Amino acid sequence: MFYKIGALVSNNRRFIPFTVTAALAMVAYTIGAYFYEAMRDPQIFLNLFRTSPYLLISAIGSTLVIISGGIDLSVSGVVALTTVASAALLRDDWNPWTVMLLMLVMGMSLGAVMGVFITYLKVQPFIATLACMWFARGLCFFISDDAIPINNRIYRILGQTKILIPGMSDVVTKQGAFITPLVVLGLLFLIAAIYIAHYTRFGRTIYAMGGSEPSARLMGLPVNQTKVMVYVFNGFCSGLAGIVYSIYVMSGHGLYARTFEMDVIASVVMGGTMLTGGVGYVFGTLFGVLVTGITQTLIQFNGQLSSWWTSIVVGLLMLVFIGVQSLLVVQNTRRLAAKRLESQSKATAVSEMQPASLKGGLLGGWKGMRPRNRQVMLFGIAAVLVMLVGAFILNGAQRSSQGLTTASPQDTSLACEFKLLRQEQAEKLVKDGAVIAYERNGGPACIDELYAIYPDGRITGDDGVNQIEKQVTSEEIEQLLEGISARGWFTDEMYDTWHTPCGQCYVYFINISYQGQDKAVQAVDGGTDAPANYWQVVSFINGTIPKFSPAP
Amino acid sequence: MKQTITTLTWSRVTESKLLFPLIALGLILLFDLIFVPGFFNVESIGGNLYGSLIDILRNGACVMLLALGMTLVIATGGVDLSVGAIMAISASVAAIMMNPVIIGVKLPPDLMKFINDPNFTYAPLWEVIVVTLIVATICGLWNGILVAYARIQPMVATLILMIAGRGIAQLITNGVRIQIFYDPYAFMGNGWLILPFPLYIVAFVFVIAWVLTRKTAIGLFIESVGINYRSSFHSGIDEKKIKLLAYVFCGFCAGVAGLVASSNIRTSDANNIGLTYELDAILAVVIGGTVLGAGGRFSLFASIIGGLVIQATTTSMYAIGVPANAVTAIKGVVVILVILLYSEQVRGFVRRLAEQKGA
Repeated sequence: MFYKIGALVSNNRRFIPFTVTAALAMVAYTIGAYFYEAMRDPQIFLNLFRTSPYLLISAIGSTLVIISGGIDLSVSGVVALTTVASAALLRDDWNPWTVMLLMLVMGMSLGAVMGVFITYLKVQPFIATLACMWFARGLCFFISDDAIPINNRIYRILGQTKILIPGMSDVVTKQGAFITPLVVLGLLFLIAAIYIAHYTRFGRTIYAMGGSEPSARLMGLPVNQTKVMVYVFNGFCSGLAGIVYSIYVMSGHGLYARTFEMDVIASVVMGGTMLTGGVGYVFGTLFGVLVTGITQTLIQFNGQLSSWWTSIVVGLLMLVFIGVQSLLVVQNTRRLAAKRLESQSKATAVSEMQPASLKGGLLGGWKGMRPRNRQVMLFGIAAVLVMLVGAFILNGAQRSSQGLTTASPQDTSLACEFKLLRQEQAEKLVKDGAVIAYERNGGPACIDELYAIYPDGRITGDDGVNQIEKQVTSEEIEQLLEGISARGWFTDEMYDTWHTPCGQCYVYFINISYQGQDKAVQAVDGGTDAPANYWQVVSFINGTIPKFSPAP
Repeated sequence: MKQTITTLTWSRVTESKLLFPLIALGLILLFDLIFVPGFFNVESIGGNLYGSLIDILRNGACVMLLALGMTLVIATGGVDLSVGAIMAISASVAAIMMNPVIIGVKLPPDLMKFINDPNFTYAPLWEVIVVTLIVATICGLWNGILVAYARIQPMVATLILMIAGRGIAQLITNGVRIQIFYDPYAFMGNGWLILPFPLYIVAFVFVIAWVLTRKTAIGLFIESVGINYRSSFHSGIDEKKIKLLAYVFCGFCAGVAGLVASSNIRTSDANNIGLTYELDAILAVVIGGTVLGAGGRFSLFASIIGGLVIQATTTSMYAIGVPANAVTAIKGVVVILVILLYSEQVRGFVRRLAEQKGA
């Protein structure tokens, strides 16, 4: 029995890293489903795919780059550039399909430029792609400083069509578990990439190159061409990921997808690809992406842990995966050494040796030489840390499970999805006589509230579902406006700022019309980029407006 | 005879690590001289100097500090991606020590009213600085252990802390941006003693690093480990300890940079302090001529110049009115141009040109 397992493990050693990831993903999901009834809803599982197709697509491209021995930091920049460029073109009524095609071509040409720099001018991949990221991100702001909304029918259809899963949904009422066309696209792309990586000459050259570039050259493989092509392919992936991202958020802005490149690299590493190149599977990357998603989902379901636990847990998980990987490398080298010894001495009792060496392979991790012991200890500690964090999460789970089990899955399934600011509606309110239109969305409760304050002291609010009203005196409004004006609202000191909102941050949009002047400024919580006076204005207005009663 | 001397000096100049960073810096300043009127004006207000040039020095302080530590790490053949996250951690630690109300430390009511007072701090300043730097050094130690003793690839090993670090920083401050009211602390980033105070900090750390590497054998050891760690090991250098030292020092530098950055903006903003600074720092080192990935010979001063090149580009773009967010596009182009100066292909081309002229 043990012999069989041992043989299975040692024969498929190269699959271990991503099997570990896959197993971990499943275990984590099962534990979550055990504690949170809502997580048993198939939709929650499908949401893992629904919220991350762009990460998957981009991670697939990066997997190939990393296998080839390079690295690509430019993905975040290219994704942001794609969202802005496509939003700008769609605003000018371009055909959406042409726009998508153009974006893919743009991604590929950026990739080609990087590839040429890296291959022929011998610029380090890290530096060349870093420069490309900066270049692409900077270009976004030459196109537009503000977020551009996308109002295109095709984009909306692609983003919002529900593909119902047979057997898990009611076709007549159109309810039940569903995915979006983007998920299908992501999975199809995954299959295509697996084919490219394992069943084409191009794919095999990538592996050979990553294993050892000089030997690949000596074998007569077209190394230079392939290297450029890998970056072109990744540029294509970035372009596609950018299109998917812009469909997902239905807008474009230069600060989208900040530090996205690190999420991508983390997913690839967790999927069992080694950053040294030559080792890894495209299929494993899927699990890397899923593990990130499950971690997020668990933390959201817990409800008591803040969003930053995601990054800590992902960091710890990476440590564990890397531990597993480097143990495997050590074992592999030992096994090779053992084999060489075996063949040198022409071992007489091969059949007897085999189980012993297998045993050594399995137990070697614990009984190895001194440096190995150190390693094992280190990763043991890391594993304990992960367990501690897990215990912490579950501890919170038990405390909060009573409250959460009754909640409908839709309430807790996603963190605040970024909502577009209702700028047009706010402008209309101001046109209709309001002096202040004030919108905030996001926050811990994922609200989206739009208030209008009129000169006669009437204040109305609308959170998308309920309306609310309050009456104050017109003097109070006049005071408020004076205060705001005195804070330099209509001067250059008040300007739009934007960064990707954190999980619990509010996004503000304030449009003020006073004494014939009219100005709108937006900002996001949780940064230092917005003018300090802006927060004073926000607190003025927050003090005046009525409060929605907290949801029961 | 005369001929040989000139060729010798010429080759010494072209092989010097300082040449290309200085050329790049010179080109950028030349650009400013032509296109930005008044760029070189330096005013003296109350004995303190102000002006665009001083701005470059002041705003470049953080990158220069990071570049000092990063130089040693890259010289050992590694890289440290986590410096930005370490900056955020140290900023959070410093802020929480000065203003601990946020994590639920119950101050006696007579202290509570002083919490917004520019002269009030919960822990004394020296304690804040020492504890923060110890925490940052421990972060560096963690990286060093992973790289040197667990033999994890540097980029991956430090990626772990890079990803987890910002989470840890937010954990420390419970996700709140803590404002820093204490004036003596803010002096570190905002103060002036004729020149901006951060510059003195940079100079201080530079002297430490220089003495450490050039007045002891450690510098040679680092270069030797970077060139070939196996043969260094066999020639009796404890390459693991050398690597560990490099990462620890890098963590220390990141801690100092975190102090400067947080005192400059007077908050602990775990989300944004030091964001993408690791890339700037690596770039500064690469511009300074230390080879990323291969390691070997390094020059601390060239890295400092590299940091200045980056900051000078940014400042001059602001000066000619490029929007803040769009500056990165031009930065990207400048980076590629500078790096091309280093490319063997381009160097070979220049050398051939020079030879043709000589012949």
